[in-house]
Amino acid sequence: MTARQMKLGAFLWATGHHIAAWRHPKAHVTAGIDIDHYIQLARTAEAAKFDMVFCEDAAGLREANIGIASQTSRSIGFEPISLLSALAVQTSRIGLVSTASTSYNEPYGLARTFLSLDHLSGGRAGWNLVTSASPIEAANFGATGLKPHADRYERAREFAGVVTGLWHGKASGHNGQSFSVRDPLDLPRSPQGAPVMVQAGASDVGRDLAARTADVVFTAAQTFEEAKAFYDDLKGRLPAYGREPDDIKIMPGVAPVVAETEAEAREKYEELQELIPDDVGVALLSSYLSISDLWRYPIDGPLPELPESEGMKSRQALVIEQSRRDGLSIRQLARHFAGARGHWRIVGTAAQVADELQARFEGGAADGFNVMPSYFPGELDAFATLVVPELQRRGLFRTEYQGRTLRDHLGLKRPV
Amino acid sequence: MDNGATMHLAVSLADPSLETGLEFSRLAGFVQKAEAAGLDMVLLADAAPASESEAANKRMPFEATTLLAALATVTSRIGLVAAASTSAHQPYNLARRFASLDVISHGRSGWNATMTQAPREAANFSRPEGFSPNDFRRRSEEYIGIVQGLWQGWDADALLFDQSGGRFHDPEKMHLLEHKGEFFSVRGPLNVARSPQDTPVLVLSGLQESDFDIATSTADVILLDGGLVEGATERYDDIRRRVTACGRDPDAVKVLTNVALIADSKPAAVAERLEKEFRARGCDGFNILMPEQLSALDDFVGLVLPELRRRGLVRESYRGKTLRSHLGLAGGGDR
Repeated sequence: MTARQMKLGAFLWATGHHIAAWRHPKAHVTAGIDIDHYIQLARTAEAAKFDMVFCEDAAGLREANIGIASQTSRSIGFEPISLLSALAVQTSRIGLVSTASTSYNEPYGLARTFLSLDHLSGGRAGWNLVTSASPIEAANFGATGLKPHADRYERAREFAGVVTGLWHGKASGHNGQSFSVRDPLDLPRSPQGAPVMVQAGASDVGRDLAARTADVVFTAAQTFEEAKAFYDDLKGRLPAYGREPDDIKIMPGVAPVVAETEAEAREKYEELQELIPDDVGVALLSSYLSISDLWRYPIDGPLPELPESEGMKSRQALVIEQSRRDGLSIRQLARHFAGARGHWRIVGTAAQVADELQARFEGGAADGFNVMPSYFPGELDAFATLVVPELQRRGLFRTEYQGRTLRDHLGLKRPV
Repeated sequence: MDNGATMHLAVSLADPSLETGLEFSRLAGFVQKAEAAGLDMVLLADAAPASESEAANKRMPFEATTLLAALATVTSRIGLVAAASTSAHQPYNLARRFASLDVISHGRSGWNATMTQAPREAANFSRPEGFSPNDFRRRSEEYIGIVQGLWQGWDADALLFDQSGGRFHDPEKMHLLEHKGEFFSVRGPLNVARSPQDTPVLVLSGLQESDFDIATSTADVILLDGGLVEGATERYDDIRRRVTACGRDPDAVKVLTNVALIADSKPAAVAERLEKEFRARGCDGFNILMPEQLSALDDFVGLVLPELRRRGLVRESYRGKTLRSHLGLAGGGDR
């Protein structure tokens, strides 16, 4: 029995996770139209033995204000299913996980598409279920606007049940509230039993859905206490669904800025922060808070009182809590969240980053981490060449893949 | 440039005729062989199963758009066209998938839409009653208009990549669709850059007589069933007349006829047959439906194709890099 080791995801996103990444001289500014760039990133992550690459997704623009959108690199990019299908045959071991919405797809088509990706990759596919909280996306799929949070999750629960049933070869003849499906899938069974199910919703209803169906949960947590509380809460919900604690891997996002020395790392971080235009930072903060008129308030003053939104409830609460706790102004909050998008930021040397990850991993607050490099390819390379060897030296991360499928890497049971 | 005498050739990878247990590497080898032979494109079928037992016996373990993405990374010149059903996808998602495939393939992708409703498919997509033929036709027309509109949401020069000036794209060169129709409401734009070949190629098949107005106003390629038929010349002329009536250049639409390869017929006789219909102006080329074994492609490219080339009907090699340029369609300029 080998010691428990952490799971690592390489979260690929646009030119980088930092909102101003694309302006950095070392970022690959044409990432969104360059497939060879993504093939190289996936190979870098695979050479470093990451469990998976992960692509987030939205079926629409990220930002309603076109002027703001035009100052970021996030309005164009690859559609992730096609992107991962291309990566599937250009890699051989690393897992390939993509987000897809339960609000704007049908379960039969989604199950079939991910199963095809699973066959192309020899059992390395995963689906990150989202219900889609953006009204911008909703406008691409009808005139009725964004559905309420509870309705979206009701649909998602039925959707997830149909998809897993189809993957397990059990669910032909479904006739439910939102969906009906007559036939089984017309593709052979998955090489890993079924593609891996991932979720990221952190609201109460989101956690219940994860406890019922997810193999992996991505989450955003700033402090150890928040991470630990989430971890304990979610694992505590598993027995009610007949599942064991190890059946779910909880992987908080982490946005590291790493360099040979701490001073270099700080310099690198400040360099990025300086590239954020104020209006872009405030717009991004507004979207997390699900309000449209944050720009009306003084930028060096505190956050105004906010009503609870139908959008991303959990992210909103996280921002508000941090603003109260640290007494941050709108500008400070905007820069802080623009940088890491509400995720946990570590700036330092490989040893310092490894110390922090180890503390959360061994302290029972994480099973692994979803790594969000500030810009690509440089910051993924830095994590792969500096932090991964440090984790391996400490026995915290694999030095070779042990299996061939994503379930193998994650240590997940194969569904029967 | 297309000299007008070039016979266009596609080869179809349709599931029911395929061998069991196909792996990606074998399919890749097939497409690479077609590329080495200089064929315009490979069509990847994605037919919905006609029955539960057919679903269980399907041999191709891949959905067509995902397969296309993978094939794009192991080829460099040949066009790759995937079938995708209007019942199975929302138009925004489908437009986005193909726009992305076209960036991945550097302008070699196409969407094969069928105007025929697969009887069982709707039942797997929460519409057990399906659509009436009339509704299906009107919905398809609206759907295709949305997809083509979304493909044009970003101007070719919209992306600035101006790092020091902080301008990633020019907001004036990004256009909302603002479509509100009978079946769909789609605001747009896509969040994928403009295609390297302007827009992915639209291949329409499964046409009834009543679909020809939709096809001639929207399609880049019209795929006709029935092999070599009497009256092909009249049908071809009629299509070109209708294309012109839509205000389009008659050469903006290529008409390909499906032809089943018969394994034991002589190469010269096959070439003769194809030449006859082509010279009679019955079509712009052919879509070769593969028989039982993938290796049948060897006979076609090794024996029939040299015959066609000897007769001056098929170009010797690729002249451009995009599918549009192979097909002699506008918008195929290499950037």
